[in-house]
Amino acid sequence: MAHTSGHVEGTIRKFLRRAKKSEDGVSAQTRLYAGGIGLTSLDTAELAAVLEDELGTDPFSHGFMPETIGEIVDFYDKLGPEAEPASP
Amino acid sequence: MIEFLRDRARADPGRPAVVTDQVSLTYRQLLDRAHSAAAGLRARGIARVGIADFEAPIVVPLLAGAALAGVEACVYPPDDAAALVALANRFDHGVLVSDRDDLDGVDVVRPGALLSSAALSSAPPPGRTPRPHLVLTTGTTGAPRGVRHDWDRIVQAARRVKPEPAARWLLAYGLHQFAGLQVLVHVFAAGATLVAPAPRRPREGLAAMRVHAVDHASATPTYWRFLLAEMRSDRGPVPGLKQITLGGEAIPGPLLDDLREAFPAAEVSQIYAASEFGASSSIRDGRPGLPTGLLERGDDADVALKVVDGELWVRSRIGMLGYYGEEPVDAAGWRATGDLVELDGDRIRFRGRTSEIINVGGVKVHPLPIEERIAAVAGVDVARVYARPNAMTGSIVAVEVVVQQDVDTDRVDLAIREACADLPAAARPRSIRFVDVLVTQGEKIVRSVSGER
Repeated sequence: MAHTSGHVEGTIRKFLRRAKKSEDGVSAQTRLYAGGIGLTSLDTAELAAVLEDELGTDPFSHGFMPETIGEIVDFYDKLGPEAEPASP
Repeated sequence: MIEFLRDRARADPGRPAVVTDQVSLTYRQLLDRAHSAAAGLRARGIARVGIADFEAPIVVPLLAGAALAGVEACVYPPDDAAALVALANRFDHGVLVSDRDDLDGVDVVRPGALLSSAALSSAPPPGRTPRPHLVLTTGTTGAPRGVRHDWDRIVQAARRVKPEPAARWLLAYGLHQFAGLQVLVHVFAAGATLVAPAPRRPREGLAAMRVHAVDHASATPTYWRFLLAEMRSDRGPVPGLKQITLGGEAIPGPLLDDLREAFPAAEVSQIYAASEFGASSSIRDGRPGLPTGLLERGDDADVALKVVDGELWVRSRIGMLGYYGEEPVDAAGWRATGDLVELDGDRIRFRGRTSEIINVGGVKVHPLPIEERIAAVAGVDVARVYARPNAMTGSIVAVEVVVQQDVDTDRVDLAIREACADLPAAARPRSIRFVDVLVTQGEKIVRSVSGER
């Protein structure tokens, strides 16, 4: 089973809460960096680690540089079932 | 070492020297067995030998016998057969002393055969005989190295130990470790009793303290943290410790407070030591770090220290002769220790190992101060801060945390972030994982590798 976009979004929201970033008005179109959530490179590094822990892999270590939340969700959609983490 | 045993066997022959759950060896028995081992080694023409046994009543007389006979012994760390055979090949040990039947391709002598040999009738040759000993380093990366020692240097500092025959010391280290040898030598110099549980983990150590009335113990900070955690969770009797010694890795300040609270009658001291250079004298002021006074000792100090570019350097008269297979080192020379330090008032404070520095996007981060903050967070038992590889910044500061029982990990996660909120952005933990156990090696926390092991 592929990741549901709900699982991916939930992981991103959990990261935002822990990193003390506002979730208000966050949608698929929301930009991750300047003009959007305003993630620094260190925040992004943390997001990559959280995604890897929760979802088994992350777009950044595959050489992608998603710019919106929707692009992160797309990355997992395209990966398909093999992206399932080893443990739930 | 054999001089201490001879002295004790004459003055106090019935005193237990080595005690386990199964066996108690008196000083007289230990000396007799050492003589037998020396005779057995000589009769077989053995000049160098590996010992693949872990029971103190076997290993201690073998070590003493080897020292008596001038045979270079080397105690192997506990491991599987393939690893032990690989060590024998690496360090050119043609003979291993072991009860194991699975050490293929190596000549094996049974410990029982050596320890029951007829004792030497002749006295050892007069004059100064070399008494070599080989200690394997527990390097966190790469292959182990052999550190060449001489018993005369190892026992040097112990000659100043005052007699304390009623003391009962826990052996919390393995006898393959240099720190284990130092405890052994100290105990025999004091004419005291060594309590040696197996395996040498905190749980067994705590049990041995209770059963065998241990009142002195020396161990790593990591060992003590786990021992305190065991005590908290089993709520059993508190051992009546009079002396607590810490060494082998940097000591977090909160741990000293925790130990004083748990063992109010104990004197808490620390030693700065390593396989390569031996041990500094013990520091008894109960504060984290070392006094800067150690930096100003004259040329007559056994172990002298100085700070070069934030790293502690050492010159030791009681240190190693050199690494196995390499040129001897100059006893008068200075060597880098790999310990990063800062001068903080009248203290030398440890900041981590050179090999443990975390490079976060070009910013160098020391793991120890972060680990200290996290260890002080309510609900945290122990924590390990390490470099986690990351596509964005090369590495991030990651932490693995063992929490106390019945603790809400979401809350601890939040509290850890708050405790680190005022650190520079690169030094804040970016990955917090809750685990059941930490990666340790030789009862020290491993910080130089990421968690995937």
